[in-house]
Amino acid sequence: MEFEFDDEQRLLQRVVRETVTKSRALPEKQLWDTYLELGWLDAPPLELAIVLEELGYAADPTPFLATATWFAPLAGRLPRGSGTGVFDGEGKFVLDADRADEIALLTSEGVVVRDGKELAAERLSVFDPTLHVARVDVPDLVAGVPDLALMGLAVSMVGSCRRILDLVVAHVKQRHQFGVPIGSFQAVKHKAADMYVAIERAKVLAYFSALTIAEDDPRRGRAARMAKAAAGDCQRVCFQNGFQLFGAMGYTWENELQIHLKRAKAGDLLLGTASEHRKALLV
Amino acid sequence: MRLAPDPEVEKFRADFSAFLDAHLPAPEEATVRSKSSADIPDWARRWQRKLFDAGWLLPAQPPEYGGRNATLPQVVAHLEELSRRRIYHSFNPQGLNIIAASLLTFGTEEQKREWAVPLLRAEITASLGMSEPGAGSDLAGLRTRAVLEGDHFIVNGQKVWTSGAHDADVLLTFVRTDPEAPKHKGISVLLIPTESEGLVRRPFGSIAAPDDFDFNEVFFTDVHVPKENLVGPLNEGWRVANGSLGHERTLLWVHYAERMDALIQDAACDEEWHATLQMDVQALRLLGYRLLGPDRNPVEISVLKLLGSEAAQSAELHALEQHGAEALLHPVQTGPYTHMNLETFNASWFERYARSFGGTIAGGTSEIQRNIIAERILGLPR
Repeated sequence: MEFEFDDEQRLLQRVVRETVTKSRALPEKQLWDTYLELGWLDAPPLELAIVLEELGYAADPTPFLATATWFAPLAGRLPRGSGTGVFDGEGKFVLDADRADEIALLTSEGVVVRDGKELAAERLSVFDPTLHVARVDVPDLVAGVPDLALMGLAVSMVGSCRRILDLVVAHVKQRHQFGVPIGSFQAVKHKAADMYVAIERAKVLAYFSALTIAEDDPRRGRAARMAKAAAGDCQRVCFQNGFQLFGAMGYTWENELQIHLKRAKAGDLLLGTASEHRKALLV
Repeated sequence: MRLAPDPEVEKFRADFSAFLDAHLPAPEEATVRSKSSADIPDWARRWQRKLFDAGWLLPAQPPEYGGRNATLPQVVAHLEELSRRRIYHSFNPQGLNIIAASLLTFGTEEQKREWAVPLLRAEITASLGMSEPGAGSDLAGLRTRAVLEGDHFIVNGQKVWTSGAHDADVLLTFVRTDPEAPKHKGISVLLIPTESEGLVRRPFGSIAAPDDFDFNEVFFTDVHVPKENLVGPLNEGWRVANGSLGHERTLLWVHYAERMDALIQDAACDEEWHATLQMDVQALRLLGYRLLGPDRNPVEISVLKLLGSEAAQSAELHALEQHGAEALLHPVQTGPYTHMNLETFNASWFERYARSFGGTIAGGTSEIQRNIIAERILGLPR
């Protein structure tokens, strides 16, 4: 096997990075239109993973993740506008269900697509006010999480964790105490190094999952669980060490770190924590 | 990115596999066991010689040095095939992978002929004299002194942890040749035969047993070493050191993956740690494959070493605890006996866990790896 990006994938990664950095200040609607224009919603699994990692890095405010990885694999098509999917058998914590134009439901009768407004899902009040999760109250739901949804959330979390590490590295380089940058202390270095290793581990498992989905390899189910579990392990290290290394600054509302900490942690809690997926890998 | 194997690599793997099927020594030929990392039993010497002659010993080398000019992915396939069958590559691993490999990179033609080829053919064995009582993680602080007098170096000082030295024929020894220069710039490398006058070796036991001899102290008192035994240019030993350890470390992950695969089988259970172990070995492989690509930063080897050694250690600890008081029993066998490998890999749970610290201490401790990652990948200040 070959486990590196080809030239086109590298180019895509660069374009996504540049676009996301440039359009950070754009209103949500314009961001969404940019993504559509660039064809990112139609991207095949590996390319989609590249896009999602960068959108995770940017804490993307749009319903892109839900549309591409919760709606599309269920409905087998893209929605008119935005979309999401209900596949937990309960409709309890559905990403973006309060604002999706179309919602795909996995029911005992198969997949049913409903108009979002009609379903009127109730948005839940959560710790991260930028996160849209809602309750979808319909009967006959059955559980069946798509591999793509697990991979999508996992690779987005890898992006969040990369952002946390970048913010922390910048902080410990410029913050001086005892006359030196705190990043020169070994206790700080080792925490940062552990974050880096956790990110690399989660990243390769997320891309392996995307690759098995792209090639419809029989290992795809296990690979998706491994990706989600590793992303969960990764956010644990990055939340813990990242928050700690930022010192009291990280405890305030007035910095960027809090946004990414919350995104990373929410990713673990949605669609099953690391521990749940590990247990499922053993049966 | 693609899952499908490269046909040229698979052909290579199949050829090697067929060679192993046809030539692997039978268990009854291999009853004499290796006693240290520089002790190769006669049957294993014949086996290594056979690999050398067939070009299956160090496949990346040209045929005259036991290879077949293989590509890096083919070299990985070669190691994977050995590890899949639990075959130990060489019973003098440092002699093969560090010392002979360094001589092939830095040695003169004569040194290649006189030392590298006999090492590769398992006619002699070698140990690596790097660490000293005062120079471990800070290897460049080494103080064993060599002074050139006429056509000989006179060596005085002490090495320690020199694995297998008591069974080795020669030591690749790092010495200080210019005490005035900055510490990285005054080091040279000498091949020192262990029978040299004034050289004394004292093996000492490992945590596993008082007579489990691999570690050695080596004392040098006015040892005369011919100046043609200098490897690489005078005072450029640090470059050789980096090259030597580079050889060892580039594909070290394959060996961690092998231990982890063995543990997956030997300690099969439905506890969460077992799933973690499966994820760790998968991630390690993927990182290893990714490292084969162009434009990768070689410093990333530290990520693989840290992840591999610590994941294996954590899993060995879980396996130990899972067996409760049973894990105290020693010696017992905890995995299948494989005549082509070391017994230590399927030793008692307690011994396996204890030996996992070899991974997190030798060849750059986990703490040193974290410093490298923080400083050379993340750019944190020294």
